[in-house]
Amino acid sequence: MRVLPWLYFVLAFAFIYLPVGTLVLFSFQDGILPVPPFNGPSLRWYSEVAADDDLISALANSLLIATASSAVAVVLGFCAAYGLARHVLPGSVFMRGLLIAPLTVSYLIIGLGLLIVLTRAGLGLSLLTVAIGHVVINLPLAFAIIYASMGAQQQNAERAARDLGAGEAQVVWLVTVPMVLPAIAAAFFLSVTFSWDEFIIAFLLTRFDVTLPVEIWSLLRSGLSPRLNAVGSLVFLVSVTAVILLELFVFRKRRP
Amino acid sequence: MTNGGQSLQGWGFVTPALLWTIAFFVVPFLVMGAMSLATLEGRTLIWGVSLSNYAEIAEKAYIWRAFLVSLEITLTVTVVSVLLAYPLAWIIAFRVPAEWQRLALLLAVLPFWTSYVVRSYAWLLVLAREGMINQAMLGIGLISEPITLANTRFATVTGFVHFFVMLLTLTIYANLIQLSPNYRRAAMDLGASAFQTFRYVILPLTLPGVVTGAFLTFVLCIGDYVTPQILGGNSELTVPQVIMVQLGRRADFPLASALAIALMAIVTLAYIFSARWLRLDRL
Amino acid sequence: MTAPVSITSLNHWFGGFHALKDIDLDIRAGEYITLLGPSGCGKTTLLSVLGGFITPTQGTVSIGGRDMTRVAPAKRPTTTMFQDYALFPHMNLRDNVSFGLRMAGVDKSARYKRAGAMLELVSLADAALKRPHELSGGQRQRVALARALAVEPDVLLLDEPLGALDLKLRRAMQDELKSIQRQLGTTFVHVTHDQEEAMAIADQIVVMNAGSIEDQGAPARVYREPATLFAADFMGEMNHIPATAGPDGVVTPFGALPQRVDGPKAVACIRPEAIKLGDGPVQIGGAKIKEAAFFGTYIRAHLVPDVAPDVILVAHLPPGDLPETGARMTLSAEPQAFHVYAVGD
Repeated sequence: MRVLPWLYFVLAFAFIYLPVGTLVLFSFQDGILPVPPFNGPSLRWYSEVAADDDLISALANSLLIATASSAVAVVLGFCAAYGLARHVLPGSVFMRGLLIAPLTVSYLIIGLGLLIVLTRAGLGLSLLTVAIGHVVINLPLAFAIIYASMGAQQQNAERAARDLGAGEAQVVWLVTVPMVLPAIAAAFFLSVTFSWDEFIIAFLLTRFDVTLPVEIWSLLRSGLSPRLNAVGSLVFLVSVTAVILLELFVFRKRRP
Repeated sequence: MTNGGQSLQGWGFVTPALLWTIAFFVVPFLVMGAMSLATLEGRTLIWGVSLSNYAEIAEKAYIWRAFLVSLEITLTVTVVSVLLAYPLAWIIAFRVPAEWQRLALLLAVLPFWTSYVVRSYAWLLVLAREGMINQAMLGIGLISEPITLANTRFATVTGFVHFFVMLLTLTIYANLIQLSPNYRRAAMDLGASAFQTFRYVILPLTLPGVVTGAFLTFVLCIGDYVTPQILGGNSELTVPQVIMVQLGRRADFPLASALAIALMAIVTLAYIFSARWLRLDRL
Repeated sequence: MTAPVSITSLNHWFGGFHALKDIDLDIRAGEYITLLGPSGCGKTTLLSVLGGFITPTQGTVSIGGRDMTRVAPAKRPTTTMFQDYALFPHMNLRDNVSFGLRMAGVDKSARYKRAGAMLELVSLADAALKRPHELSGGQRQRVALARALAVEPDVLLLDEPLGALDLKLRRAMQDELKSIQRQLGTTFVHVTHDQEEAMAIADQIVVMNAGSIEDQGAPARVYREPATLFAADFMGEMNHIPATAGPDGVVTPFGALPQRVDGPKAVACIRPEAIKLGDGPVQIGGAKIKEAAFFGTYIRAHLVPDVAPDVILVAHLPPGDLPETGARMTLSAEPQAFHVYAVGD
């Protein structure tokens, strides 16, 4: 009976890591097919990726969109959270609901709606339109995370600052922002990883300059290739790095 | 500072985010709703109030069948994922020593952060005719020739379950760990076996969290295009795949919009069905 | 319904931390005993060992003469009343109270009858169908008591059961706990850090510090003649007067005392209420009021004695006019009011 849970634990981890393990392993394949038997290790597919201009520019686009859209989402989310947590406004429950609403709608539908409106408005599809879409999906997240962290403790500190003569801008910048910085950082990192990985909105809202997931998608049409494994492993590496940084610098510090 | 000044300032903070959400979420959504009532004559869009797109959904077999396929896949995925994730979350919460729990959880959900496209591609590698599983089963003599795993519903469900097991492990673990350990102690102290403790105390207490996770699974699963497209191939189509077909081949935005609205209606029904137990604030 | 408990040579380590050190303790059947000490002293760990939630590294626990050291909580004749009560929030009071009987396979009508009787015992019979969140803190505490007692344990373990209640309610619940214990005759082991609560409620007090038992006995004895300096301080306010070993006991600034100690240095302790006004066998002599405050039944005064200006004595003076700062008075005490303990360098 004691062994059974651990057996399950091991099997579950095997299931969880089977695809990622296979992906990474065969990115080092010395051959043209990423399937057993494994020959290698070889770095030839990584050097091919590094030499592929389309992939590299897609990667750069993705990084740009991820950081820019996350920054916008976090700034908008913070301001909205501050406004709603600190000021008594009519209809605040409704506004909170409205800001959170995009979380409950699938990305495909958000992308479709934006595609219809943006093309109707005569705005050409570009990296900018993707970034707009990514702000739409990350804003609710950033708002919710930061809003949840604005408790009574901060409010008392803000009152104390005002009492000591700080103006509204000084209160926000010198008291509120530092106190909710862990939440701001968490919201930013999460937004970056979501934007970095996001496919369907980027697919619908780009035309010539594409993001990395879209570029990978088009590579997929040519079938299995260790080159895809190499790209996929790199994408995974970036996401994992972001998650580990988040864990180390944000969540670890929060614990007492 | 006067109250009016205060609330003016409050509006100043809230307005940018509200405007963004209205311009890029609410307006597109309303336009999509209007679009679903428009019609296409040849390549010309005619605005109006017509239910012909919705009628088409009900009439065309390949479309309404897609709704059935999507529902079947989503329900299967939701049930299987919950059943697989609960024991894993339980083991991490109650068997793994406290100082290792955070690491175990981090590792258990790390592949969650692989991008959608890459994760589905990775499953394709595993399930391909020449892939890991076929090779392994051939190797130990379980089968005599490769079996078709990729491009089937099985592959789609596997890819989905993999993703949602990680998501649900996270949410169920969070629910288990926030329970006072004294609930378990009290149950055992009063003579409950491990199973009785689970059945009568822990499960009822974590049910809202489980339902919330299951609802999230339902929403994300039924709206996903990538996984069935890569892993299921074109053996059968799900609703998102049908939507993408309308967008790509025929640029039939009215029908695509009607499909999207119908999909949202299903999600709303699922919400109403599970609202009794839902705790969206617990996410 | 009741049983004696015997703990022998018990030691427990959490990793490198020695949480319980050589504990030997005998509890008679039907006794109300409190484990008293500051947080981190090991009292809750000891309670967990009794309840079966912790298996001790060394030593044995026997309940009713049977070795229970390695028996699971479910199979022990003990039940625990948890600090946070751990009432099941999804069950009404009747289901909470009858949970143990349900686990034991008792049929519905019998267990509901018993639950009703238990709720009657804690005066909550009317609330049987309410959920825990509808109750006040004191009411939850009673439900937790009823639930723990419904399975008729031999020994009830209470982990700081009154910790979450306000002072007035605490005092009322102390009386109620004691009266229920008398009524049932079950052995109660009650953990607390409040010495007044311990004295109000217990037949026996066990004072713990840093994993060891410092003193053990009836409340009056532990208060009046504490075995160790720690117990002396923990049981209530104490004046510390430096002393050295002399030919016939110890020598203090206030003269010789007959108590003997091992070692050259010592401290003589006396409770504030044992210091009297006027002349007496042990002459403290003239003293000056540093400050004084009115406490209702007495005046609590800080005094500086003339013969030992480094010592500040706290004394409870008879309630009357509040003396002014700098006022002078003469103090004395009985020799047996002092307790003398050896101290290291």
